[in-house]
Amino acid sequence: MSRLNAYALTWRLPIIIWQILFFLGPLLFMIAMSFFLVKNYRMIEAFEFKNWEKMLSRGYVWDSYWLTLGLAALSTAIASLIAFPAAFFLAFKSSENLRRWAIFLLIIPFFTSYLVRTFSWYVILAESGVINALIGNIGLGPYTMLNTKFGTIIGYLTLTLPLVVILQTVSLANVDKNLIQAAQNLGCSPWRTIRAVIIPSAKAGLIIAALFCFILSFGDFVAPYYLGGSKPPTLPILIIDTTKSGQQWPRAAVVAVMMMVTLFTIAFASIMLAYRKRVSK
Amino acid sequence: MRGASITWALRIYLLLIFTFVFAPIVFSVIFSFNSDRFPTIPLGSFTTEWYAKIFADSEVWEAARNSLIVSLSTCILATILGFCTAYSDYRYNFKFKGPYLALVLLPPTIPLIIMALAMLAWFSKIGVSGQLWSIIIAHSVLTAPFAMAIIRLRLNQIDPNLEPAAWNLGASEWRTMREVIVPFCKPAIFSALFLTAAISFDEFAVAWFVSGLNKTIPVLVLEIVQGNIDPRVNAIGTFVFFISMTLVILAQLFFLARLNTKADPQ
Amino acid sequence: MTESLVVLDRVVKRFGTFTAVREANLTIDQGEFIAIMGPSGCGKTTTLRMLAGLEEPTEGEIRIGGKRMNTVPPHERDTPMVWQSLALFPFLNARENVEFGLKMRGVDAPTRKRRALDWLERLEIGQFAERNIETLSGGQKQRVALARSLITEPQLLLLDEPLSALDAHLVIRMQSVLTRLQRELGITFVYVTHSQSEAFAMADRVVIMAQGEIAQVGKPRDIYRAPANRFVAEFVGRNNILSGKIAGANAGFVRVETPVGTLNVQAEGTAPVTGTEASFVVAADMVHIDRTPDGAENAVQASLISEEFIGSVVTLFLEAPDGTEFKVQLQERALAALEPRTGDVFHLSWKAEDAHLLPA
Repeated sequence: MSRLNAYALTWRLPIIIWQILFFLGPLLFMIAMSFFLVKNYRMIEAFEFKNWEKMLSRGYVWDSYWLTLGLAALSTAIASLIAFPAAFFLAFKSSENLRRWAIFLLIIPFFTSYLVRTFSWYVILAESGVINALIGNIGLGPYTMLNTKFGTIIGYLTLTLPLVVILQTVSLANVDKNLIQAAQNLGCSPWRTIRAVIIPSAKAGLIIAALFCFILSFGDFVAPYYLGGSKPPTLPILIIDTTKSGQQWPRAAVVAVMMMVTLFTIAFASIMLAYRKRVSK
Repeated sequence: MRGASITWALRIYLLLIFTFVFAPIVFSVIFSFNSDRFPTIPLGSFTTEWYAKIFADSEVWEAARNSLIVSLSTCILATILGFCTAYSDYRYNFKFKGPYLALVLLPPTIPLIIMALAMLAWFSKIGVSGQLWSIIIAHSVLTAPFAMAIIRLRLNQIDPNLEPAAWNLGASEWRTMREVIVPFCKPAIFSALFLTAAISFDEFAVAWFVSGLNKTIPVLVLEIVQGNIDPRVNAIGTFVFFISMTLVILAQLFFLARLNTKADPQ
Repeated sequence: MTESLVVLDRVVKRFGTFTAVREANLTIDQGEFIAIMGPSGCGKTTTLRMLAGLEEPTEGEIRIGGKRMNTVPPHERDTPMVWQSLALFPFLNARENVEFGLKMRGVDAPTRKRRALDWLERLEIGQFAERNIETLSGGQKQRVALARSLITEPQLLLLDEPLSALDAHLVIRMQSVLTRLQRELGITFVYVTHSQSEAFAMADRVVIMAQGEIAQVGKPRDIYRAPANRFVAEFVGRNNILSGKIAGANAGFVRVETPVGTLNVQAEGTAPVTGTEASFVVAADMVHIDRTPDGAENAVQASLISEEFIGSVVTLFLEAPDGTEFKVQLQERALAALEPRTGDVFHLSWKAEDAHLLPA
């Protein structure tokens, strides 16, 4: 009863056509577009390397590139470090009930507008905002937090931290509890148990959590734009500026392809690292 | 006693994380009822001025109408696409199944800004850009994987003999789809509808690029915040927050309720 | 001459390079209770699925009621099945589950409901008609599943290990429910099981399958007394299997020289050549056991190793001086008179007619 027939194809074909038309199509067209030309504000289909030459030779593009890469990496490192104690607590020290509630609460932010949350931070972090008003009471500040890298990172964390905590918690909770007990029976200190047993066992999950954090930060334009001041712009902002003003879609496509290549490289490396078999001695 | 104090320290730490995560949401709700144009501490007086403003604004109503159309159409389309994929994956083994699943599941791993540019360019090339349904098409591609995942999880719980049992009792494959598979997946289908509607309702990057002049609520918010500090954003945000939360909680109720009754007492 | 209800004519089923069923020939008559039995992977479930149309034979032909069925899709057959997992529809209540087959045949709702309730009554679960499937016990679900497949009043009912998920005491109850139903309805049951006791207790004929082949078809008694080959003899398990060389033959009997002595064995047909290897079986309950020799023709001495009780039947395990093992089955009452203790030496004997030569 698993022969190929009208019934089987009805369930299989529509989405193939749909995704080729509206997912694969756009991506491939965007790659092709990076070789198009723009004359008199009109795009001409061609196969030229002009956009690539122009964009790759510009210093500001590379400034943006390294800035974006650096900020996303920083956000990934910070999110992973901040999340770990919380995930550790939820995985090992909390009740089943608390863990379920915590994960449910951490899912909520995904369904609240990231824009509105960012705007809220904008007001909270402002020169005369809530935080400066609070620490002003004890004679500190005011500090400039908006339009700084600090602001950008706060924005990134708003986007990524809940996800990183969830993914870390799930991967830590899956570590074999017997392994931990064995380590403790053999006299491992709690600290050593974490380093030598728990982290290696949960390695794949921890790396995947970090990877998701990186992808989200790397592609986000809201935090660097509204909280980071966009000077210099990150790559996503560069895409928006190039697209929205001046009709330079092919140049925007060059930036997008650069981003995709970077992401694929990093994703591939992370997955290799995550699932690499440990060499037995 | 050291273990206990570490546990307490971790508990407080977790509380701090939650404070960070929920501070912007909570403040946004508070600010939406606060009279100051630029809110700070101490707070100004209580007001519903911002709500009155957005309810009087025809642009907001227009955007709300667009958002409603987009998320309703998206959720139906994405759930149908997700269902087809989930069922194909459950029922059949075929050549190139890996690439097939990748084609459906990959969109959420590509940054939205890249999808936005790619879809803008492609849609103008094939002549479907700037319409409300441009957003609907784009959103269905982006949200179908979530629908697929939820429905596939439900199909994991089906007794593989249920379909053959229906054929055996005289139902054709099509009839079995209607009488067995769809009723079995119903809770997951509802979950998928609510979840994809919620994601679509909040998405702004792709909507902003492909929508042309048809603004959805998040796109309107994006444009308002590009201008000045405007507490209307908080009012809209609070309003949207409660709509999204309702959708998510409905999705949870449908899906989790079923997951819990899954255990067979046999 | 009218053909049997079900005919399997040299049926072969291959999955890729794996042959699940090879050259199966079988006829099943109207009103018969057939059990197909064998170890897992022997092809019994594949055979059943081919009857239901869930698998298509690679070669050969399946006929039901004289009609070639090979390519008829399952929903166009009238071969309902009771599944090992029961496969009840969890989103329907008990009555709606039972109604399903009628609904698919376009029977109107009031008729459907009346007939479903009748069937539920008949299976003594009428009071659970509107209950959610998940809230029923294993035995009740079993009855719902039976009612669901019988409501269309088929000629042929297929059962795939339907009792394997039930507790032991329920199995016995359901066995009597099944045999009673089968007799009352006069329809054909094809019952797949790996349980010898189920097959032998219920079936008119038993089909033993091994590695895709039908090893023997026969009445339970015949299979037990006269297994067709070594596999069946071992699979049935309540047999003593002895091997040796043919020492001579006369008048329907052969003498077989074994490590425990020369023994007389009944030989149907042409007697095997003197000097060749031969094996034969003696059913465990055909062996007489006593403390003193009774002068019978086939006698062996063996010492008791252990005993095993199943209900009122006892199986004694004994060992001859050369290490050959014997199983002797007797009623508990007979055991009491024997007062056996481990290590005691007993005299075993049996009639030559009860020894059955296995084909070489």
